[in-house]
Amino acid sequence: MRTNIIGIYEDEEVVLKAVDKLQENGVTVADVMSPFPIHGIFERLKLTTRLPLATFLYGTAGAITMFAFLYWSSVINYPLKFGGKPLNTLSFIIIIFVLTINIGTLFTFLTYFVRDKLYPGKQVTLPVPETTNDKFVIVVSKTENMTEGDVSNINKIMKESGAIEIKESDVNYNS
Amino acid sequence: MNLDIQFKVGSKFRTSMFVMIAIGLITIVAGFLTGDTHRTWANLLLNNFYFLSLAIGAIFWMTMQAITQSGWSSSYLRIPQAMGIYLIVSFVLWFVMFFGIHDLYHWSHTEAVQNDPILLHKSAYLNLPFFALRFVVFFALWIFITIRIRRMSIKEDTEGGTRLFGKIEFSSKVLIFVLAFTFSLFSIDWLMSLDAHWYSTIYAVKKFVSAFLHGTALVAAIAVILHMQGYFPQLTKKHKADFQRYIFALSIIWAYMWLSQYLLIWYANIPEETVYYVPRIMSEYKTLFYAELVLNWFVPFLFLMWNRIGKTNWGILTIVAILIVGQWVELYMSIMPGTVESHKITYIEIGSFIGYFGLFAFVVATALSKANLIPKKHPYLMESLHDEH
Repeated sequence: MRTNIIGIYEDEEVVLKAVDKLQENGVTVADVMSPFPIHGIFERLKLTTRLPLATFLYGTAGAITMFAFLYWSSVINYPLKFGGKPLNTLSFIIIIFVLTINIGTLFTFLTYFVRDKLYPGKQVTLPVPETTNDKFVIVVSKTENMTEGDVSNINKIMKESGAIEIKESDVNYNS
Repeated sequence: MNLDIQFKVGSKFRTSMFVMIAIGLITIVAGFLTGDTHRTWANLLLNNFYFLSLAIGAIFWMTMQAITQSGWSSSYLRIPQAMGIYLIVSFVLWFVMFFGIHDLYHWSHTEAVQNDPILLHKSAYLNLPFFALRFVVFFALWIFITIRIRRMSIKEDTEGGTRLFGKIEFSSKVLIFVLAFTFSLFSIDWLMSLDAHWYSTIYAVKKFVSAFLHGTALVAAIAVILHMQGYFPQLTKKHKADFQRYIFALSIIWAYMWLSQYLLIWYANIPEETVYYVPRIMSEYKTLFYAELVLNWFVPFLFLMWNRIGKTNWGILTIVAILIVGQWVELYMSIMPGTVESHKITYIEIGSFIGYFGLFAFVVATALSKANLIPKKHPYLMESLHDEH
């Protein structure tokens, strides 16, 4: 069972400064929870995401699939000439365009759900339920090779940087 | 941070620009003397329109910043203001074009119009006196409002406060309506009427979006170049990302307009409309026809989609260089098939472009050096300098 040190804050600016302070002292901040997205937190935590790449690939795959389908349906399977236009025609573009967006968006959405193990009706486990309302939380993982001194040091930095409450939690929120 | 930054035009830069202008002048004179008058006039029109649309696009970008009250861009506003000064030079250069009107425009020959029902029908709009009147009125409006905005912005440097900020915003609101209406008619007058029998309702929109796209791209490039020379220390990755988004979004809009024009004409397949595209696709122009789409849309779209490229100096500069070629190809495709007909890129194309480029760079650089490089009392300046968004 993993435990986390949790600092609860009341203001986004204070959270940003606290994260900076912790990182200056060599503490790895595992996560930050907030009721709304905070600008700059993504870069500070050095989070990376491959979701845009996934979207690009889905979009490309969608475009190719749609072209293949249109080609199959209106050139191979049912070649019907109308309006003197060629069978393999430019007006494919509009359908390809729309479905590229559609497929890209839907699959990105599904990927996000799968990666985050989210599904409708899932029970939320949060160390501090108020993070969905008006509280901000900094999470630092408490690893096994941390000494008592390290822990009290983290507590001290959090307190100095404006945490209103510090506690330890073993809620395994990440899964 | 010291906000009193004065841009200085280096003597090396000045000399090389003068050399470029001289090359242009020699080419144009040689073009007339060797009897290639037709092609020379077409190239003068191309270059005049090219750099005018860059200035118009940059001004339009500036008005957008004022209307949306954008903070991030406030320290770069002197760049489009300096590009606006080129309008005055452009006005003088366009006057020369009136000597070439009979060479370029079929509708300007009275006897040809008399025997042509279509041109006769259009002659209420397309006749020389009205044409010249529109030209003068449009330029007068553009120059008047642009110079007014620049003056107020420079005055803001000493006065401060929000009084002039509000006035600039109001002038910008006036200017977007003026530009939307007048620049549309201007591109119809000078470019679409080359193929006087043909018309497209989306032609002016496409030319406007093209000006906006390339003007914005050049503002971004100038900001990056000045940053590399040490003038804009505040230019961060976030500013570059903002410029990148502008170029990215506008290149998509450009392609949308391109497709809107082409697809409808292709689909309806009416001879009166397809007459424009037939000489452009079914001839030696074919390569440039597709190059236009690749350079202006496909390359910026594909590469700027990858966020990391647009955040680097070389990334922005490369994309803008491609767009600069792209706009030239676009105007070449608009002008040449209707005027000189045969597809050739001769010394006139290259030399005259170099000349105009030198003149444009010289005018913009001189205008930049005339005022403080950063509007130092702009109300939102801090947002731009300490970029925390």
